[in-house]
Amino acid sequence: MELFNSESKKIINDPINVNNPISLQVLGICSALAVTIRLDQAIIMTLAVIFVLCSSNVILSLIRDYIPSRVRIVIMLSVIASLVSVVDELLQAYLYDMSKQLSVFVGLIITNCIIMGRAEAFALKNGPSKAFLDGLGNGLGYGMIIIIVSFFRELFGAGTITLPDGGAGYVLFSIPEAWYAAGYENIGLLVLSPGAFFILGLVIWTQREIFGIEEGE
Amino acid sequence: MHSNNYTLGFVFIVTVILGTLLSFTKENVRDLQEYNLKADVKKNILRSLNFVETESEPWSNEVVERIFNKNVQAFCVNTNGDFVDCILEEVDTERNIEVLPVYLKVVDNKTEGIAVPVAGKGLWSTVFGYIALEPDTDTVLGIQFYKHGETPGLGGEVEKAWFTNNFVGKKIRSNDDKVIGIEVLKGKVDSSNPYSMHQVDGISGATVTGKGVGSFLKEDLGRYESYFNKVRADGTI
Repeated sequence: MELFNSESKKIINDPINVNNPISLQVLGICSALAVTIRLDQAIIMTLAVIFVLCSSNVILSLIRDYIPSRVRIVIMLSVIASLVSVVDELLQAYLYDMSKQLSVFVGLIITNCIIMGRAEAFALKNGPSKAFLDGLGNGLGYGMIIIIVSFFRELFGAGTITLPDGGAGYVLFSIPEAWYAAGYENIGLLVLSPGAFFILGLVIWTQREIFGIEEGE
Repeated sequence: MHSNNYTLGFVFIVTVILGTLLSFTKENVRDLQEYNLKADVKKNILRSLNFVETESEPWSNEVVERIFNKNVQAFCVNTNGDFVDCILEEVDTERNIEVLPVYLKVVDNKTEGIAVPVAGKGLWSTVFGYIALEPDTDTVLGIQFYKHGETPGLGGEVEKAWFTNNFVGKKIRSNDDKVIGIEVLKGKVDSSNPYSMHQVDGISGATVTGKGVGSFLKEDLGRYESYFNKVRADGTI
């Protein structure tokens, strides 16, 4: 099949826009709340999720005809868990500071409903190249939301914008001291989990407005 | 429907392949991970000793190694304050109570601080850290907690600067010169209390973690009392 015919585009675009796993299917919320305190954490988490999602989709799609359906959930879980463990080990080796900050949430990618969901709903029914695109699309859809949320949480909560740099993070921008002297204050609530809910709610609202999606028709 | 034998065989093969993949990955990155862990411990010793990371020279593993080798002298003492042989990396800072590691901050041949490991139970987990004293073996120079499994946002706040900064300048010796450690209060320190130089503010919602920190500081620093007394009597280290 061609890689970029209209069907492939739809597979990638849908989960980013009209069928976003976080904002429209409301999956993977727990990690979206936990790793969105700083932008660099969200970016590394996105890359990890995209890697796991694409690989698990492709692997499961390749063996889909051979998996006995009685044990398919077990097989899916072991493939996903192994991939996540590999990512965790690599982070500990090459991005130690980041892996300390993300701590348990890397391991918890295993329980991210998006990954199991895509494996069950898509990878087991489609060929490897489509499954790969589906993984990429959903990973990007997930990443887009947590990157937007973390951008606002870090900017207004901590007053900085941090990019990943292999160490403790590169501070791209921080609110000048003069602003604080003039009475500006960070919104401490945004650093806590409820802050993520507020931002996420606003993102969901905006996205539904843009695509004209109505609830309960 | 597949036969039972097929199902078992399939699961077995998948398990073997995935297991191989995992052990292969682990085998390849193990050395690097251990190196990172060691560098991280050194980083925390440096932080407790009040070395400050600068923006022009961020603390990569190599930089940490260099500063540590240049400015930190490490050795072990026993509970009587005598020097003993040890392999620092193998000393179990949680359980070993016979061999006590000491890290001296030496800048231009002048000793500026003494860091020792501390560890003990918080609420859920063992909290690990380093506390550094000034050469008078009384005033706290800095403290760092680097490993714990306390609740993020509550007990987990022990590693945050707002909490550890409160220790700086506090005294670990009582008026009659006994090592009594630092008490973590429930609530705020009342500065009019003469005892307040031995106390720091607690963390709201983490009273048990605070109590734990206070009690292991007292216990662990107590083991070094003979050594601290020697340092103080000699005036040299």
